[in-house]
Amino acid sequence: MVTLKIALRSLLRRKVRMVLIGLLVFLGTMLIVMGETFSLSTSFSSKKSIIDNFTGDVILYSSKAKEKPTPFAFNSPLPVIGNSGHIEAWLDSNGLCVSHVAIAQNYGMMSIDKNGKKTDVPFIFYAVDPVKYYATFKNVSMQSGTFYNSLGTGIQEGVVLSVLQQQTYKKNYAVDLNEGDAVTLLSIGDAGSVNAQPSRIVGIYKPKYYSNVFNYINFLDITSYSRLYNFTGVDSASLPASVNNALAQQTDDDIFGLAGNTSSMVETSSLVSKELSGYTTIAVKLKEGVSGTLFRKRIAQMGFDVKCATWEESAGFFAYIGSLISGVIYGATILIFIIVIFILMNTLIINVLERTGEIGTLRAMGAEKGFVRLIFLWESFLLNGIASFAGMFASFVLIAIIAAGKGVILPDVVQQYLTGGAPLKLILSIRPFAEAIGLVGLVSVLATVYPVRVATKITPLKAMSDK
Amino acid sequence: MAPADTVIKLSEVRKEYMLGTTLVEALRGVSLEVKRGEFLAVAGPSGSGKSTILNMIGCIDTPTAGTIIINGKEVEHLSDRDLTRYRRVTVSFIFQSFNLIPVLNVYENIELPLLLQKVGSQTERHERVMHFINEVGLSDRIKNKPTELSGGQRQRVAIARALVTRPVMVLADEPTANLDSATGGKILDLMQKINAAEGTTFVFSTHDTHIMDHAQRIVHILDGLIVSDEKKAG
Repeated sequence: MVTLKIALRSLLRRKVRMVLIGLLVFLGTMLIVMGETFSLSTSFSSKKSIIDNFTGDVILYSSKAKEKPTPFAFNSPLPVIGNSGHIEAWLDSNGLCVSHVAIAQNYGMMSIDKNGKKTDVPFIFYAVDPVKYYATFKNVSMQSGTFYNSLGTGIQEGVVLSVLQQQTYKKNYAVDLNEGDAVTLLSIGDAGSVNAQPSRIVGIYKPKYYSNVFNYINFLDITSYSRLYNFTGVDSASLPASVNNALAQQTDDDIFGLAGNTSSMVETSSLVSKELSGYTTIAVKLKEGVSGTLFRKRIAQMGFDVKCATWEESAGFFAYIGSLISGVIYGATILIFIIVIFILMNTLIINVLERTGEIGTLRAMGAEKGFVRLIFLWESFLLNGIASFAGMFASFVLIAIIAAGKGVILPDVVQQYLTGGAPLKLILSIRPFAEAIGLVGLVSVLATVYPVRVATKITPLKAMSDK
Repeated sequence: MAPADTVIKLSEVRKEYMLGTTLVEALRGVSLEVKRGEFLAVAGPSGSGKSTILNMIGCIDTPTAGTIIINGKEVEHLSDRDLTRYRRVTVSFIFQSFNLIPVLNVYENIELPLLLQKVGSQTERHERVMHFINEVGLSDRIKNKPTELSGGQRQRVAIARALVTRPVMVLADEPTANLDSATGGKILDLMQKINAAEGTTFVFSTHDTHIMDHAQRIVHILDGLIVSDEKKAG
């Protein structure tokens, strides 16, 4: 192919300029591949880390809730899920999930009587079933004591404090709380009543991931929590169907419509008292291949009085960070490639103008415009192809080396938001390479359009007048 | 309608263009008929309109007024594709500055018009290329790039390139202007030899009286007008 021959030799004839342009395309390709790999790895690691340590794949919460669940719903806790026991039983048997844990987010006070001095301190907490929590999230590193009976042994009731919380009490209240210390938990009811529950410090933990969240969160076992907040109610099975239906509608009209309806008369002696857990959310980890959509569909069919939030909805800002970084990388990539397009286009135009006589001669010899166009397209594709292939190969080697190591260590504050604190593991994926090929192809075409237009407008007269 | 042995006919061709704010009349009503096998010199001083006439004959420039007829068709009715085909098949050019493709060697430069014409097999192309390389005496320079050749050698490559497609007509714009007189004479001898052997029409421009002596027909042009058209006997 004579066009390929002319293109290749023309590139070799202008070595220095072409090497510089090649270097630009090489670096641009590396930036795309590395940037996209970083972005993909960030998204993947962020998602995995949030799901593994934070939210699970989906979070169930009361359908009465007006807000989405978040890790920080302490000041305005979500409404209690009334039938969490039934839901957890269904989760155990439906075959859709790997594990699940119900959580109650709340805040209260602890009264400490130590060394003859009585101090009340505030604390926010997750009230959980320790065994299920430990089986679902691996975010707890015990500094002293055990995480309740999560490993089969240990104390089942009490408080697990975070290290930071322990240090804060020492600094702000001069209270040194340690494993085994007795405390009195205090809850304040809606009418201002105070409930007290004796408890103890079971252990001190340090969060493995997302310390910027979990440093402020302590744990309380669910049994102590239920007692502290008097979560007792009526078993819905002992209520007439019309009452249950009206309650399920959740509107004032339906509930007040029960008045005067004889079929809805309730015989109070038949009501069965039931101790409620007080759980506000249930975090669910789904099995591999089970989609959130399928899970939502199935749980909707069950008619539980709950809504379902995705991990992204629940993680809020933390999930947004990954998307933000991807967006920034994409933006930078586009910017780089616009610059590359302009530089490449400029160089090709200079090439065209330098070769006016040559192009005019070809046209005078009867070369069609397509012939001239093909020469410049070959030049662009050859230059960009070779440079981008080299860029992709260099990126591949670099990613493979980094992926084989311990990962990319970023500043702690960045790592906390991206991966919960772990080094960023790079993932070798075909997608960044495919995207780089596509983008380089696009750049080759876009950067060539105008120079080729200039070239094909050169008339044979130019060759005659090129004396 | 031009006679069958007429390659091209120019009738009252005018060419005007603007040079800055000045209107330049390059041709002021030129009529010329070129017949097959002619060895024709367009002679005149610089700026007289020699190159413009050649450009009109080669259909690489268009007249402001008048008609140019090629193979019985007026040029203004031909499409860009038709004109490109005309340049590829019917006419070949020899440029004053040789205009070889710098990245191709001697053989490849001469082969290029055949590739543009999509001429048959590689064997056929090779035979034709080698024939003209031998004709111009460059068989020992096949692999050389244009930059490795002397001016005379480059012009011989340009002649071989112009002839390899066996065109009806070769247009040469001052083909010896960049050569010394001895080399120029040899180039003209070569063109004459091919004209006699192949019957190829040659139209060349010159202002050199020694070069004009080689021509069978000399068209003198001055200030955009043909002032004389003389044929040599024999």
